[in-house]
Amino acid sequence: MSSHREAPEIAKDPVADSTDLYAFVSPDRPDSVTLIANYVPLQAPAGGPNFYQFGDHVLYEIHIDNDGDARPDITYQFRFTTRLRDPATFLYNLGPILSLDSPNWNSRQFYSVRRVEASGRVTELGSGLPCPPCNVGPLSTPEYARLAREAVRRLDGGIKVFAGQRAEGFYVDLGSIFDLGNLRPFEQLHNQFGMHLFSGPAPGVNATNHVNVHSIAIQVPIADLVRRGARGVDDPRAVIGVWTTASRQRVRLWDADRGQDVDSGPFRQVSRLGNPLINEVIIALGDKDRWNTLPPADDKQFAHYYAQPGLAGLLPVLYPDVFPNLAALVKSGKPRADLEAILLTGIPKGIISGFQNNTGPVLADMLRLNTAIAPAAKPNIVGPLGGDLAGFPNGRRVFDDVVTVELRAVAGLTVPLVDPSFKPDGAASAVTDGLDPSSVSAPYLTRFPYLGVPYDGFHNPD
Amino acid sequence: MRNTDRNHLVPGNPGAAQSESAGTAGAMAPSTHPSAPSRRSVLAGVAGLAGTGLAAGQLTTALAAVGPRQAAGRTRTAAASEAGHPDEPVVVHVRDVRSGDIEFFAGTSHVRLRDHALAARLARAAHPAARSAR
Repeated sequence: MSSHREAPEIAKDPVADSTDLYAFVSPDRPDSVTLIANYVPLQAPAGGPNFYQFGDHVLYEIHIDNDGDARPDITYQFRFTTRLRDPATFLYNLGPILSLDSPNWNSRQFYSVRRVEASGRVTELGSGLPCPPCNVGPLSTPEYARLAREAVRRLDGGIKVFAGQRAEGFYVDLGSIFDLGNLRPFEQLHNQFGMHLFSGPAPGVNATNHVNVHSIAIQVPIADLVRRGARGVDDPRAVIGVWTTASRQRVRLWDADRGQDVDSGPFRQVSRLGNPLINEVIIALGDKDRWNTLPPADDKQFAHYYAQPGLAGLLPVLYPDVFPNLAALVKSGKPRADLEAILLTGIPKGIISGFQNNTGPVLADMLRLNTAIAPAAKPNIVGPLGGDLAGFPNGRRVFDDVVTVELRAVAGLTVPLVDPSFKPDGAASAVTDGLDPSSVSAPYLTRFPYLGVPYDGFHNPD
Repeated sequence: MRNTDRNHLVPGNPGAAQSESAGTAGAMAPSTHPSAPSRRSVLAGVAGLAGTGLAAGQLTTALAAVGPRQAAGRTRTAAASEAGHPDEPVVVHVRDVRSGDIEFFAGTSHVRLRDHALAARLARAAHPAARSAR
């Protein structure tokens, strides 16, 4: 998964577990950037009676670096508070929830948003903002889409925010990928460890369909994020690096008398996410927990994982004779400068016509977005690999096929960006887990917050 | 938009109040303190204190009292002004009785100091069986 349960420690702490991060120029408001950080992975929609919520004791942040040092210049902080109307009932709601202040809704959550600048300046953007309820079912939340729209709040300065449950928009065939990389569309080519179980291609299965997540979404004018004077695609000031973190206080003590946690001490980062799938499939198991605690500025120590990704070595082994050129490249020991550029520094200008998202020499895992590149009229889900410069790895849109993009990049498709003499294997431009946005049952929205209406607990699983 | 200083508490959002000063600093800057203790060791330290008979107020007093005296020998991750409200619970973690290495947590602040006598006293208080055997 992009970053769901990707490291041993954070897998035990779902409310602080970042799952996906999106950053894109808003298609319906191209003078703004939309940032979405998802948490609380793999929610079964029928998760009552304690339906899913953000963590009251977690500090959620979305960071923006706009000067290339991989440290936050701007941070949006989100804190949540749960309020019970009636602690004497076991129910989430006592009747239909038709409004965000419905007296039928027992367990509500509110949040605050603040902007923190590196200078120390803090701006309170909003407080007491309501989250929508979870999508319980047709009797409890009969007009869910309208209710959730009411939770989109406009703040001063042209900012929109939303925090609450959404349909999972990330699509991936987990069952095949983590069954020893047996990509269904190519399973007949897999070595199958000699078991001869699969003789023909099969369609992918979206393992994250019909589950929900909790999204923190904020839409901000581009001018609020970039350095002053940014002008044009080639201008380095147009590029921002984005990542999200969740932090907890250092001490957490179970107060058995009160039946609740006592949290104390300074906040420390427990989860991080920039580019998709990095801590999932690039960073090794022994480093995943530590990676989650560090800022992108410290990522140089992990550069060898990008330069020699384990997956690149596995593909030729799992698919004999399918990736001979990749196998030779791996055997040569040449560092993967293409992956370093795409994931750790951004792509400099002059490599792809009309494109750059380079943030300078600091090696850092950030989702890099060139804010001067307009949204595509006809988006391609593999982004620049498909000729669409507005998609991943130029930021990330909710529908981008990041699994295929990264699979193909690791398979060698992007090596010619830095080494024109390298000829990618034919399979490198075809490899995929066989999914696309149609694999997501809840349609994406064309407006903020863009991720679909969450699946309700009455009809799911069907 | 309304600008505030870092110590402003968010109206109507008590959950946010906890994160104000040190939360921001902690998240915006890399950690400067020595390697963090494991959760288990913190909980063990705290659990030990449960039997000490030291009330939270007494520990707050101890925190305030030892602060200036021990200034030269401690590593701090939060300014004194971030120590929090005196009524807030204080969690003490005696990292190493022998060296007197102690951590105090209150609100969003953290103070680490070296005080052999205090560490020894806390350790004795935390082990009532050993105390009664003396």
